[in-house]
Parts: sequence; structure tokens; C-alpha cells
Amino acid sequence: MKRIHWILLGIITVVSFVFEMAQEPHHWWERIPGFYIYFGFIGCVAIIVISKALGKRFIQKDEDYYDVR
Amino acid sequence: MFGSLCLPPFTAMIAGALLLPFLPKSVRSAAFILFPLLSLIIIWTSPFGELLSVGFAGYTLILSDVDALSRIFGTIFSLIAFIGGIYAFNLKETAQQVAALLYAGGSLGVVFAGDYFTLFMFWELMAAASVYLIWARRTNEAAKAGMRYIIVHLFGGVLLLSGILLHLASGGGLEIGRIAQDGSLSSWLILLGVGLNAAIPPLHAWLADAYPRATVTGAVFLSAFTTKTAVYVLIRIFPGWEILIFAGVIMALYGVVYAVLANDIREILAYHIISQVGYMVAGVGIGTALALNGAVAHAFCHILYKALLFMGAGVALHTTGTSKLADLGGFARYQKAAVALYMIGAFSISGFPLFNGFISKSMVISAAGASHLNAAMLLLLLASVGTFLHTGLKLPYFTWFGEDKGIRPSKTPRSMLIAMAIAAFFCTLLGVAPSILYAYLPFDATFHPYTIPHLVETVQILTFTFIGFWVLRGKLAGDYTIAIDTDWFYRRPKTLVWTVFVGWVNDFFDAAERTAMNTAHAVAAMSKNPARYVIYDGSDDPAYSPARYRQPVSAIILCVLVSFIIFALAGIFT
Repeated sequence: MKRIHWILLGIITVVSFVFEMAQEPHHWWERIPGFYIYFGFIGCVAIIVISKALGKRFIQKDEDYYDVR
Repeated sequence: MFGSLCLPPFTAMIAGALLLPFLPKSVRSAAFILFPLLSLIIIWTSPFGELLSVGFAGYTLILSDVDALSRIFGTIFSLIAFIGGIYAFNLKETAQQVAALLYAGGSLGVVFAGDYFTLFMFWELMAAASVYLIWARRTNEAAKAGMRYIIVHLFGGVLLLSGILLHLASGGGLEIGRIAQDGSLSSWLILLGVGLNAAIPPLHAWLADAYPRATVTGAVFLSAFTTKTAVYVLIRIFPGWEILIFAGVIMALYGVVYAVLANDIREILAYHIISQVGYMVAGVGIGTALALNGAVAHAFCHILYKALLFMGAGVALHTTGTSKLADLGGFARYQKAAVALYMIGAFSISGFPLFNGFISKSMVISAAGASHLNAAMLLLLLASVGTFLHTGLKLPYFTWFGEDKGIRPSKTPRSMLIAMAIAAFFCTLLGVAPSILYAYLPFDATFHPYTIPHLVETVQILTFTFIGFWVLRGKLAGDYTIAIDTDWFYRRPKTLVWTVFVGWVNDFFDAAERTAMNTAHAVAAMSKNPARYVIYDGSDDPAYSPARYRQPVSAIILCVLVSFIIFALAGIFT
């Protein structure tokens, strides 16, 4: 990721935010400004952290798990 | 006997499967792709209505019943069989080609079936034909996974058939139609049988177990037919069943969690089939015209981009010989075309504007919002975060980019790239011009995907999912583990079952044999010299020798003789 990429992402975010402000909210959560910004980021982090925790605790096993008698 | 004479759509594929082995080997691949085209022609020239019914054992079987819903599913199944045929053009293995044609023909048979028996027949044909696409990989793993796959599907078939028979016994008609949510056992059995093929947890484990072990080309076919015919049947029979909303949302998130943990790239894609079918199942559960149209449109788009993704992963596997994320990485510059085409599939499944996922997934999510199912709507949006995270970011990043593991892939066959390009073309076409698809959706609802709120929502979610991935990408690298799923219940107890039904039985027969042999030995040993158990002569030597027993034996014989004489004399004088 070069600096130019981050700048582009920044521009996209600002533009989307401006358009968002011009819209009437359809659902209660859309009254929170930039809701989908937090939703995307926190959702992504939560999916990784929760899945990894579940994996470590319960789900992930050695590759020969089913072969061992 | 025949209601009308018009070819049912499945005939082209089934006839193709029967014909193919008799054609010269050099033209089989070319012939293969003709049959799906022929199916398309049949489907689009057939008028709506019941076209072919056959009397059978007092029932009327409707082999071909065309309407807007079956036509759109039939179209995408034929189209994907065509694309899959091109992808497999270099494959000179007739058995796999025949299996793929039978499989595709089975799916068309289910889609155009007008009655439950016909549906069931083709349902089982699909299971039987598809398992060969797994076994044809010819690895020990594939053999075992295929066996589990067919056993699970036979079990599902039994559920479905029991449901159908109960449905008939309780006065239901043979003709396929909506079943009311009345809690009857027959409807639940049918739902379970169909739900197993739709991979609804906990009946889903066969999918993620088998698909990653199928052949490179087989997985492309597998990804298209089984789950989507089940979605079709759900739309026909169970629209508006509330439980399907829950099932769908759970599926959408379940696949996401497991895709984080999977190390095999085709397993990641397999779990994302479950996730994506979740949207369709939820759409069926919501049951409004918009939601059902969403389920149909999403199935149509999903088949295209999922096949494209499996084709991309197949290229990586085919050219490097491995599909493990932990082994791959750093060879994108050798496969630029395949990576670019894969990314079109990834943008599509992630719902990027201008690609087909955007115009279908948003229908289901909007339908949830329109029905005031806020929780379902937000959770489905969350699942789409996970979709982009895995299929759009993690998988391509760790497969083709990331750390250079020194992999130098072999050349990608051109036919594979052509097939990917065709699928990518359709993914983009439908994204740019959704009305092409919308015009043929069966239910009466209008939808406009390109509105400012949708675009804002999508752009913000995708942008910040990417940022989240970039921050945490170090945690996502593959590692050498497997993720246990509900297949644990029939795989892990294998040891126990083996111990009880094989080990213990063997132990019993071993013990019995040992006892018999020991007894025989003992008897044999005893019979070597039975005299020593009768006659004690003060010695412990077990061996028999005539000299040792001469006196005692002669004494006994003498006694016997004397007794004879005494008895004889007694006889004379009395």
C-alpha cells in the first residue's frame, strides 16, 4: 500500500460521507453519521478476532486429527 | 400416455451423457459443450405449462413443467454447464465428462419436474453422478470424502422420500406446490431433505468436506448445481417459512467464521457457498415478491461468480499442485490473466458496484429491510463484510501475492482462461445492465440497485473492511490445521465404531479360535498317553512306552479274562 492508495481511499470515504449527509435515513442506525464506516471496520475486526478465538479454543485441530486412532 | 410431445429440457444433457462415450475421443470435449447449448435452445423454445406427462402406476408424472421460475434456473444451469465444459476442454477423461453431463441433466430434471417422484428421481441422479467428480481425483482423501458425501446424500434422499410418501399418505397431491407451514411431519421431512442439499447447518458439513477434495474441473460443476437446485425447490415449496430467515442468517455468518479458519483455498470458497446460499435461504424465508426475486437473482449471479472463483482457485491448484494457503504465495506475476479474472469474481461476490453480486445480494438485504427485519438486515450486511474479507482479500492476497514462497507455476491451459473470461463477462454484464436479468425474474416486484444510499452503504463498508484487513492481515495467514465441523459427529466416532464393531468382533473370534486350538492341543496331548491318567506308577514321565505299562496292562487284561471265566462258569452251573 503506497501513500497514493491511502489518499484515494480517503477521497472515496469523504465523497461517500458527503453523499450520505444529503440522504434521508431509512433506518434508525442511519441517523448515526458514517455508520457504515464503523460497521465495516468494526465488523471486519470482530469477524477476525472472534473467529480466531473460536478456532483456537474449539475448532482448529491438527491436520491428522481424523486419522489418528 | 403422452400428454404432448415436446422434449423435456433434461433430455439434451442425458442424451449427451449416453452418446459421448461412443464419439471419437478427439471430439468429445467439443461435443460436451454442445449439449448445454442444446438445452438452452430447448428451454427457450418451450412454451410455458406442463409439456410432458406420463402415466405411471396410477399416478401422473409431469416430466416437464416450464414457467418463469424454472426457466431462469434452467438457463443458468445450462449456461454454467457450457462454461464448465470449456474449462474442462483439455481434460480427456470421458467418465468425468459423462458424470458432469448426468449431473447437469439431473439438475435440469429437478428444475423442470412437475411432481415429487420425478423430482426425487433426478435428485438421486444428481447425488450419484456428482460423487464421481470427487472420486475422480483418485486420492485416498478424495475416496473417503466421496464415500461420506454419498452416504450423507443418500440419508438426505431418504428424508426427502419419506416426507414425500407421508405427504401422499396424508392426502397431499403428487404435484409440486407450496406447502403451508402447518407443522406436519411430512413437510418437515421434505424441508430437512431439501435443507441438507442446501447445506443448512447442521446438515452442511458434506459440502466443505467434499468440494475441496474434488477434481479441479469437478469442483466447478459441484459449486453450481446441488445447493442451487435445493434453493429452487425451497422457493417452490417453502416460500415464507419463517424458520428459513433464521437458517439463512445463521448460514451466512457460519460460512464466514469457518472461512477465517480454513487453510485450503477451495475450502474457503466452499464455506462461502454456504454463506452465499444463506442469503437465498433468508430470501425464501422472508417470502415477499422482492425477497423471492432476490433469492432467484442471487442464485443466478452466485452460480456465475462462484464458478469463476472455483475456476481461479482451480488454476492455482492445477499449475502449482497445491491448494494450501500456507504453501502458496508470491506468484501473481506468472498468472496475471487468471488473477485478474479471479478478482472480477471476487468483486462480484463482495457486491462491488458494477458487478453482479451488487445487483442481487442487495435485493435480499433490501427485502429484509422492507419487511422491517432489521436484525436480519444488519447481520446479512455483516456477512458481506466477511465475504469481501475472505474471497476478495485474504484468498487472493495469500495465494498470489504476499510472501514469495518460490513457486513457479506451470502454464495455465488456454481453455481455462477462456472459460473464466466468459464467466467474468457475464458477471460484469449483469452488474452493468441488471435489467437483462431483472426482466426475466418470476415474481412481481421492481428493484433499483443503483441508488445513492445503496452506493454510499456499499462503498463505506467495503473501504473500511479493506482497512480492517490491512491492519490485521498478519493474523490471517494460513496455518497447517483443519477446522472441525458438524462432520465431527460422523467422522470422529469412527475410532469408537471401529473398536466396537470391528475390533471387538475380531477380538471375540480371536479368543474363540485360540480357545478351540488350545482345547484341541490339550486333547491331543492327553491322547498321547491316556494310560498315565489311569495308572499311577510313581513316575512323572509323560511319554508312553510299552515296557512301562506292560505289567499293569497285563494285570488288567488278566483280570478281564478271569472275570470272563468266572462269569462263564457261573453261567454253566446256574
